[in-house]
Amino acid sequence: MQRELAWRIFAGEYTDATLEHSSGEERAPNYVITPLGAKVNRLFLVGVITDVEDVGGNGGDGQPMWRVRLTDPTGTFQVYAGQYQPEAAAMLSQVKPPAFAAVMGKARTYSPEDGVIYTSVRPEMVKLVDASLRDYWILETAQEMRKRLEALKEAEAMNPATVDGLVALGYRQGLSEGIVLALQHYGKVDLDRYQSMLHDALRYLLPEFQDGVSAPAAAEKKKKPDTEEERLVLEIVETLDRDGKGASWDEIVDAAGKKGLSKEQLEEITNRLLDDGSLYEPILGKIRRI
Amino acid sequence: MDAAKRSIVRKYGGNPALLSIGTTKTVKELSAGEPSINLLAKVISLNSRELEQDGKTKEIYYGILGDDTGTVPFTAWEVRGLNIQVGDVIRLQNAYTKEFRGEVQVNFGNRATVTVEGGTLLEVASPQEAPLTRRNLDELQEGMRNVRITARVLDIERREVEVRGEPKVVFSGTLADATGKVQFSAWHDFGLEPGEVIEVEGGYVSAWRGLPQLTFDERSRLERGKETALPPLEELDRARRVWIEELVQKGGGVDVQVRGIVVEVREGSGLIHRCPECRRVVQKGACRIHGEVKGETDLRTKAVIDDGSGALTAIFNRELTETLLGKSMDEAIAEAKEAMDSEVIRDALSDLLVARPVQAQGNVTSDDYGLMMIARSVTVLEVDVQAEARALLEELGD
Repeated sequence: MQRELAWRIFAGEYTDATLEHSSGEERAPNYVITPLGAKVNRLFLVGVITDVEDVGGNGGDGQPMWRVRLTDPTGTFQVYAGQYQPEAAAMLSQVKPPAFAAVMGKARTYSPEDGVIYTSVRPEMVKLVDASLRDYWILETAQEMRKRLEALKEAEAMNPATVDGLVALGYRQGLSEGIVLALQHYGKVDLDRYQSMLHDALRYLLPEFQDGVSAPAAAEKKKKPDTEEERLVLEIVETLDRDGKGASWDEIVDAAGKKGLSKEQLEEITNRLLDDGSLYEPILGKIRRI
Repeated sequence: MDAAKRSIVRKYGGNPALLSIGTTKTVKELSAGEPSINLLAKVISLNSRELEQDGKTKEIYYGILGDDTGTVPFTAWEVRGLNIQVGDVIRLQNAYTKEFRGEVQVNFGNRATVTVEGGTLLEVASPQEAPLTRRNLDELQEGMRNVRITARVLDIERREVEVRGEPKVVFSGTLADATGKVQFSAWHDFGLEPGEVIEVEGGYVSAWRGLPQLTFDERSRLERGKETALPPLEELDRARRVWIEELVQKGGGVDVQVRGIVVEVREGSGLIHRCPECRRVVQKGACRIHGEVKGETDLRTKAVIDDGSGALTAIFNRELTETLLGKSMDEAIAEAKEAMDSEVIRDALSDLLVARPVQAQGNVTSDDYGLMMIARSVTVLEVDVQAEARALLEELGD
């Protein structure tokens, strides 16, 4: 038995998936087929855990079931861990959002009514990581997504696309199978949507694309991110965040005003800090330090 | 009738298998699905492998048996008390046959009796019957016979082994051509030196854990080849970077290099204890084979590397793990003692490796659990994410 590979895939693509597939053989693995033809049984994600909630107990067995939202630059993964994922569940019960985390898990689907399918992840491993590993994951996931986009374009040009035809062009067996299934299920895929998702994800990594600041200035800024003002704002946010759920924006404006920062200045600094990942917005109107 | 006989023998403490209830056959006469056969055959190759059964690890043997009519693969499902070696002529009673990958396979478990027939000589059908075929090293596959190859000797080692109680010398090492590398065993002293180009006619290919292995002896023809027939040693010795998917298809690879991220540091990583007898990992103070033993401490890492095309488990030995940790095993032991938890070292390895891109090099073999690399080197890669992201955006025409 070969170990299933762990797909690197953005939330934006994964949550668009509405097709589950199995070869039909006994004990055959299940796959989620994404619009770009990823044939996912297992996936590997790195993102920010923004929310952990125990949604268990509804089933009546009293066991915790952790629902975790894990975001990347393109969207949010839903991660569920219960008693059958003891290591992951124990880990998640301790996490204080927001936190950078790597998750390896199995692709799952949930269908509340006919024709509606939500994708989720059942974690096998959860690990807290740092921003640099999250950035590397975005890069690698972008590279993988690009391969799928190219394969899908080739496939659309083939008409009809076949697994053998794609393999002959040098695409991997699993991807080729996924693409043929995707074309059957999703029809013509909105490639522009995924093209721009890919661009956005890559730009997210680059300072020159933040706030429309020109590249050299951004590079300059990146070298010394700790200006006096940024430190001040971080301090204010930390002080005002009394319950760990974030500081309210209005209070921050007041506090910053007393320190001599105008609202415009504050907004600019805050946006910068939100972009470089030092701050984050758990809910609208609240700001937290990472 | 047979059942009655067996139960009576068993009742009086005898071994019912010795009743020799099956039919005695030659290898050529075997067909798939025979419930009870007896065979007199020579052990041509013998390997062991571990399986997981009902949550327990179980060791089995497999290999090839042969007599003067042909050869046949076998699997021994019960290794306790089974003391056989390559070259032994064995009398096998109450074995059964199955079809496996389109071939007849001999199986025997605890119903069977195996007796080593000391002093019995048995000619084994010559493996030379297949037509001589020229092969590249990357084409070699288990079961091929009478192949002809041209390759450069990368390394060679003389080893003394015991075959049928007699000391024998085997020369083993690695061969390479432009397509890949393969391990070899020469049961004859051809006076081979590292770097030489050789042409071998009449070798056959067995497999060790899915890795093809070329074997030849005095019955094979070996000549020195032209020095210019192959790229120089340094070039051939370089590890080839491969996608894990390729290794999945081939069932392994000799001295290959993979690049991917570590998605998991598996249980059994960090500080472990080994049986002083057999080096197997001791669990709960007991070795599977040697029972309760005082385990010797060792340090290793079992990392799952995934390159987006497939995944393999890479084993980093003590030395590589020490380098990764930046501390010696003794320091790791002291740290675990202080924390009163030996898992802290696995946690530390997990912190170091998970989600990080690495490059690892070594031999890759396969078994029922997939691919395994015994790494001879590993490096954590430093990637300039911004530069690569810019390059990719540019390629995309942004």
